[in-house]
Amino acid sequence: MSEKMSTYPIRRVIEHSPGLKSFYFYQDFDAVPGQFIELWIPGVDEKPFSISDLSDGLLEISVKAVGPFTERIMSCDLGDYLGVRGPFGRGFKIVDNALLVGGGIGAAPLRFLARVLAREEKEFVFLVGAKSKEDVIFSRELSKYRFYCTTEDGSFGRPGLVTEEMERIMAKDSFACIYASGPEAMLIRVMEMAEARSVPFQISFERYMKCGIGLCGQCCMDGSGIRLCVDGPVLTQDAVRGITEIGLPHRDATGCRPRPT
Amino acid sequence: MTERQTDIEIEFLHMRLCSPLVLASGVLGLSSSSLKRVADAGAGAVTTKSCGLEPRAGYVGPSIIPVSHGMLNAVGLSNPGVKEMVREVADYRARCRTPIFVSIFGGTVEEFGDVAEAVAQAEPDLIELNVSCPNVYSEFGSPFGADIDATAAITRRVKQRVGAIPISVKLTANCLSIGQTAKVCEQEGADALTAINTIGPGMLIDLNVRKPVLSNLCGGLSGPAILPVAVRAVWEISREVSIPIIGTGGVTTAEDALQMILAGATAVGIGSGIYYQGLEIFDKVNEGVQRFLQEKGLGSLDEIRGTAHE
Repeated sequence: MSEKMSTYPIRRVIEHSPGLKSFYFYQDFDAVPGQFIELWIPGVDEKPFSISDLSDGLLEISVKAVGPFTERIMSCDLGDYLGVRGPFGRGFKIVDNALLVGGGIGAAPLRFLARVLAREEKEFVFLVGAKSKEDVIFSRELSKYRFYCTTEDGSFGRPGLVTEEMERIMAKDSFACIYASGPEAMLIRVMEMAEARSVPFQISFERYMKCGIGLCGQCCMDGSGIRLCVDGPVLTQDAVRGITEIGLPHRDATGCRPRPT
Repeated sequence: MTERQTDIEIEFLHMRLCSPLVLASGVLGLSSSSLKRVADAGAGAVTTKSCGLEPRAGYVGPSIIPVSHGMLNAVGLSNPGVKEMVREVADYRARCRTPIFVSIFGGTVEEFGDVAEAVAQAEPDLIELNVSCPNVYSEFGSPFGADIDATAAITRRVKQRVGAIPISVKLTANCLSIGQTAKVCEQEGADALTAINTIGPGMLIDLNVRKPVLSNLCGGLSGPAILPVAVRAVWEISREVSIPIIGTGGVTTAEDALQMILAGATAVGIGSGIYYQGLEIFDKVNEGVQRFLQEKGLGSLDEIRGTAHE
């Protein structure tokens, strides 16, 4: 692990669909699912990304173009040097008989988790929701597991929201743990359902993790004040209970939280 | 509130701090919840991130990078602006009794006065003047702290506008004589001094892309590498002034903190040390200082403060 900056050439690029790619780097560190790295495009900026796989020293980062930085990554190619610091934070703890719920590109860390769960011969069900077929990543690979998919426009899997499918699955089966990652509105619904059935959860949250090493304070959560970059990004129900800002607009780069007007 | 280690308590200005350790400005100081967490971790007082008149996003990443024996940072004074900071301080006050210091910066002498007056509404226990950020050269030019007259003018102006709230001037070691600068601050009415800010600035170049890593190209150096410079600075200041000093720079252990006290510091700042030791640094250093006092049969830090000069 290196919190210092190291640059590595891109070894492989896979385009899942337009504006949705995986980038691969050879690494000497080890990581657990749910941890993240800081990715530096020299001369541009540095942003946090969760790890979508790390096996045999090959690190995979899956990126969806949603803004200037991620747009810029789309034009990076084989051999380009990017900076990687990490891995950072606390990841998922392995539990048998789990339900994995991913929303859109948020499913990326759960894919890494699924690979580790499968390797350790744990039972799990993987549920992914997306807006449309193009936003569903790893569907071919995930179909070897007990895999369910929903899309809001009905172009792939079952039409509707992933939380509706989760409701159906939870009505039939019981689970020892719920893992989730995705948009915060989805996570809130996932937590409600988990709590209603008293199922423990491990959820990956997102904030502006600027330094990744617990110093800058940008990702501190209101309430308990935990630093998401070192105390998370994966939080259990005990940690979530102390936080008062879930569902609120995130603090921006100045540290201001946008107020409702 | 639980009573903790009473014999490492210190008297600082008119406050009684349960520990000599103060969270240094720039680290974990953006929100009331984060500051409270540091207070709960064992700090005797906490300092906010420096705030200015308006919100600032600061520089893009990378802005904080560990290097051998230290840390380079050029965050670019990102802050939510003084209005928002006043709200955070009020919220902190409602939830936590540990003293809170608010750090401020300005682009001109007048602006320092304006920010200070606005911050005074929150009635912080102390206002710290960041005249020494080394990372905003292109915007503000060379730090005021390197210029003894500018530092004096800011101290005077702020003192006029904050009423009874004590002020501390955060000094840089990047100046001709930090002792002389400190003396002038004392003459202009400073109630305390904080020394030192990050030094340098320094630069890290990546060999593959052959470019500086920090987006600002260079950044202030903090961490263990700068401890000896900070101890020397506190020593020099302590010879020139009688107001209390918050000795800051590279402290990661109880031994480091004790060096600061021996050099003449009343309180000891902790910033980058949190990276090296986690938030447990406050408990660890408090315990180490306590143990030292017990082993040497000392009642309080007053008995050793500044004694390295004797």
